[in-house]
Amino acid sequence: MARSKEIAPHVGRYSRSQVAAKRGLYKGKKTGTAPAKTESPAHTEKTVGGKGNGEKRLVPTNKASKYYPAEDVKKPKVSRKTVGKTALRASITPGTVLILLAGRFAGKRVVYLKQLDSGLLLVSGPFKINGVPLRRVSQAYVIATSTKVDISGVSVPETVNDAYFTKSKVAKGSKEGEFFGEGKEKKVFPEEKKSEQKSVDAALIASIKKVDNLAKYLKASWGLSKGDRFHELKF
Amino acid sequence: MGRFTEYSVIGRTLPTENTPEPKLYRMRIFAPNEVVAKSRYWYYLRQLKKAKKANGEIVAINVIHEKKPLKVKNFAIWLRYDSRSGTHNMVKEFRALSRAEAVEAMYQDMAARHRARFRNVQILRVAEIEKKEDIRRPYIKQLLEPGLKFPLPHRRTKSKAWYAANRPVSGFHPIHSSHDYMLPGLKLVYPISNKMMNVLYWVNGLIKAVD
Amino acid sequence: MVQSTFKRFVEVGRVVLVNDGPSAGNLAVIVEIIDHNRALIDGPTTSVPRQAFPYRNLILTPYTLASLPRGAGNGAVKKAFEKAGVLEKWQSSGWAKKLAARQQRKNASDFDRFQIQLAKKSRRDDVRKAYIKEKKASA
Repeated sequence: MARSKEIAPHVGRYSRSQVAAKRGLYKGKKTGTAPAKTESPAHTEKTVGGKGNGEKRLVPTNKASKYYPAEDVKKPKVSRKTVGKTALRASITPGTVLILLAGRFAGKRVVYLKQLDSGLLLVSGPFKINGVPLRRVSQAYVIATSTKVDISGVSVPETVNDAYFTKSKVAKGSKEGEFFGEGKEKKVFPEEKKSEQKSVDAALIASIKKVDNLAKYLKASWGLSKGDRFHELKF
Repeated sequence: MGRFTEYSVIGRTLPTENTPEPKLYRMRIFAPNEVVAKSRYWYYLRQLKKAKKANGEIVAINVIHEKKPLKVKNFAIWLRYDSRSGTHNMVKEFRALSRAEAVEAMYQDMAARHRARFRNVQILRVAEIEKKEDIRRPYIKQLLEPGLKFPLPHRRTKSKAWYAANRPVSGFHPIHSSHDYMLPGLKLVYPISNKMMNVLYWVNGLIKAVD
Repeated sequence: MVQSTFKRFVEVGRVVLVNDGPSAGNLAVIVEIIDHNRALIDGPTTSVPRQAFPYRNLILTPYTLASLPRGAGNGAVKKAFEKAGVLEKWQSSGWAKKLAARQQRKNASDFDRFQIQLAKKSRRDDVRKAYIKEKKASA
């Protein structure tokens, strides 16, 4: 049994019941019909000239290759593993206030909204409070605090996904032109991104304002000062 | 040797045609683990009987647990030990919660006072002293006085600070506690004012600094 | 006369504060003195199991359970402890409050620390304003 690869002579890796479960015969017979194959004959008859050739000859439709490898080349095993979704730390749940530790917004406190398909965290400042826009961050560069913001009223539009954050490619101008400052238009922040940011933040800000000092807290940035013992701090 | 456990080890010589059912011998052995316990069993048995590990077997080995591990008891331990110049017998007394704990304290004590190793000490007998009158040693007797109480004069407090500006003080501080203070070595007892004490301390500090 | 300056003693019935191990921060009672290094302690109402404990990791409190017999059982200790009202006295003491405050400060979250900072700021501001007002009035 191919599935139950032997771990010792006559001893399979799986029990009989495990193999049966894997074979999945209980699912029933397959009902779909395979498309009918148009069979082409393996050989065709051809007339051959020449006296001693017997006039006719069977010629295979698919010629066998003349080349044989001198040694057997082993085929690498095809991996059937698939990449799963990145597991989040238990302390990161939707609405958690995170402290960013790297990048342009290091030290900022932001609100976690959801996990994107790439496994990165979608966060928002909100932009109006501390200037951090909708942004992707890796959970490795983040401290999760125990403070939670109620984000039940916040709906993140479908358009905000991983593709939303990729840079649009710009056709390169000639080097000379670049040098003289030609063709350099100031990039305009797209209107729809602005409106998406606003729509997400509106509900977020509303719920932040319900808690005293929370807006101030998000506005202030975090840092270590003298005498702080990081290993003893609780977040 | 680490923490001790009391084992009951039972063994015998291997049966032969002449003695198909050899006599069983049981011993109570204090050892840190079963391996050492079995080893000590054979050590003692071959000294006492004509038997050794090569033609013998361990029938059973079990841990003996203390019956009342939360009662403070007084134990006497009879032992014999080989010093650098000879063999001596001793009786020592210990206050402990279990026999194993008393034995552990005994080995520590023997190591400290006599530099005796585990292999040099043989325990002859461990017994609880039930009657107070039977206690021989004054260092145990003093702990049984009714209404026993004593202060803790030498305390070490841990500072949470990263750096301490002053050396920690752990001893007896007359400046902070009382005006009445007897200087060590002085027979005369008289009240000394705080100010005077400070001067004395200042002088002491100077002497210490010179040392 | 020479008087002893010591007020707290190791004795049967002395209430102690456990300073180490899993029951650190809890009160217990010395039930019996084992030797000059260890005592048998018990804290039936404070979830400290009966155990031998070195004095090194105990702090003597000013409370005692008078007339607690040597080696008293769990129930007797509990009764005496409750009768003496040690826990109430302890909880209303400045020492216990300080310990509790320290614990609370230690467990404060990032948001809590931020709010403490805000409160301190506003207090400073109030003091400053009052000071200036007084100064002007007296001048």
